[in-house]
Amino acid sequence: MRARRRTVIALMAVMATAGALSACDSGGSGDSATGTITYFTFSAAPDHLKDLDAIRAAFEAENPGIKVEVRTAAYADYFTALQTQIAGNNAPDTFELNYENFFTYARNGALLALDDLAKADSGYDAGRIYPKALAAFQVDGKQYALPSTFSDVVLIYNKKLFDAAGLAYPSASWTWADERAAAEKLTDKAAGIYGDYQPVSFYEFYKALAQSGGSFLSADGKKATFNDAKGLQAAQWLIGKPGTVMPTVAEIGGKADFDTALFKSGKLAMWHNGIWQLATLNDTAGLDYDIVVEPGNTQKANAVFMNATAVSAGTKKGTAAWKWALYLSSSKKTVETRLASSWELPAVNDSAAFDSYLKLPPANRQAVFGALEAIALPPVIGDQQAQMQDIVTAELEKAANGQKSVQQALDDAAAAVTALISK
Amino acid sequence: MIGPFLWMVATSLTTQSQLETVGAGLLPDPVTLQPYRQIGEVFPFWRFALNSLGIAVVSTVLQLFTSATAAYAFGRLRFRGATAVFLLYVATMMIPMQVIIVPLFIELRTLRLVDTYAGLILPTIVSSFGVFMLRQAFLALPRELDEAAFVDGAGHFRVFWQVLLPLVRPALATFAVFGFMSSWNAFLWPLVIAQTEEHMTLPVGLSLLLGRYSPAWNVIMAGSALSSLPILALFVFAQRYVVRSIASTGIKA
Repeated sequence: MRARRRTVIALMAVMATAGALSACDSGGSGDSATGTITYFTFSAAPDHLKDLDAIRAAFEAENPGIKVEVRTAAYADYFTALQTQIAGNNAPDTFELNYENFFTYARNGALLALDDLAKADSGYDAGRIYPKALAAFQVDGKQYALPSTFSDVVLIYNKKLFDAAGLAYPSASWTWADERAAAEKLTDKAAGIYGDYQPVSFYEFYKALAQSGGSFLSADGKKATFNDAKGLQAAQWLIGKPGTVMPTVAEIGGKADFDTALFKSGKLAMWHNGIWQLATLNDTAGLDYDIVVEPGNTQKANAVFMNATAVSAGTKKGTAAWKWALYLSSSKKTVETRLASSWELPAVNDSAAFDSYLKLPPANRQAVFGALEAIALPPVIGDQQAQMQDIVTAELEKAANGQKSVQQALDDAAAAVTALISK
Repeated sequence: MIGPFLWMVATSLTTQSQLETVGAGLLPDPVTLQPYRQIGEVFPFWRFALNSLGIAVVSTVLQLFTSATAAYAFGRLRFRGATAVFLLYVATMMIPMQVIIVPLFIELRTLRLVDTYAGLILPTIVSSFGVFMLRQAFLALPRELDEAAFVDGAGHFRVFWQVLLPLVRPALATFAVFGFMSSWNAFLWPLVIAQTEEHMTLPVGLSLLLGRYSPAWNVIMAGSALSSLPILALFVFAQRYVVRSIASTGIKA
């Protein structure tokens, strides 16, 4: 794993140089509207290959002359393969990127700005795409990728455990204090029941920081600022859970999907997790649950994960690639397929399309969209993104294990992140 | 050492619902063969297995040939700069794949070998470790053997093929096992060079099973268990040679 990580870092360095080189030797991008284009994705395998294939077939039927060749990789290995291909000037014509990685690729010149292609396409309706998602994939006012899907994190709760404890269900107006009070009452270690589950990690921390009104980086993005009083509040919120209302790290024992199993077997009352869990929770017999927008501290802030389709800067088939990216983003067929197969949610601004989705359990599925009202996007710093996330998670874990005071861990993490940015 | 292996086999026989239950034991209850049925349905498992096997066999045979001939040259022939070239060779063992992967990829793209069997095999056919190992084996043989053969009128190739090679068979078998294992288990290079399912090897194919959110561990372990079978078979088959080779390195006659 460590070796893999090192590879990724080395590749990123090479990519920065190769990005500049490829701009020279491909002699600018071509814009052929027909031919075979390649599409590289991490979100299809293994469960949604058939769904993607159905979308591809429909696209090819509607766009004679264009063929799409799909290539897949597991998320953990996807970026290693993609970086090598881009550095080797053999990038796929179109590829999937998540928000955190998008910036690195856009800044390194690996992506084609789509504005001219959008203008030339009379069928393009920007209003059909969810505006906040569209804005997230812009750099310096230019659109470098078309948002395709999103998912967000909500508070999932077990109604039976709340009923048994005689407590009111969580509501959208809850704050941390309400969550903590309920979690303490719900925890019954003798019966193996825990009140709450929220990992001590980078992703939870940046969000908790935003919920406390803090900011991760300074306004100019050059300094880490999360070691202030608000950062301390956020870190203490997370670190206060393991061992009190949540199993300790030792009890979890590094077992993958420990929390999923705990919730499904009815021994976890509140669970901070993503909406991608809903399909499997609906399949679990005897589980009575619902969801609600996460409690905030001084304000609401929700983690939203967004994926987009980018077009390679070196493609010779710009127009065809654009059509495919747009199809994956907002076509009727794509939206229907994604919703029908509980894939990730399409990032479209079309509430009618979601009607049948909202009728599925749990009752308050509307919270999926409620979470979009206050989005906290993860801080991005470019090439060293993965290292930054590792540093923050590692320091928080040290504080959770009692190796350092929380303030000390935050100070150390902030110093390391600031040093990383100025590299 | 056998623990992880047994755990893999046990997981591959476990139902998904047992894996998701807190406090369920490590032993499968009930035992199910469903994961093994599933691998064939989810993706072209046998295609990946065939690719892996073909690539590993071709790569190992070629490695044995290039390593043995080079080792003979380094061990027996005298030429200017032999030691320097040998040291250079051995030094390349210190350079990890991660460092050269991008230049290598660019090279193969220029040769139009991306996503081909040749692209998967060519970079693996020369092994400096094999040269080093077989050279040591040749050096351990008395020179009187070749001299006697030369007196009888044999040329270099005959000495190499008929006199020395049969005597280093244990070293060859050991290296064949190593070469086969490293090719069979290779992940990084096949990941970047094989882009379509047609050319993917087993480890890369198995990694596709790792979904982003909820991996089906029993299916992954079933695939892993099947993919470790050829290595086990090869090891059992080559065991007596390997053991002999390891034993002989400790004894100076």
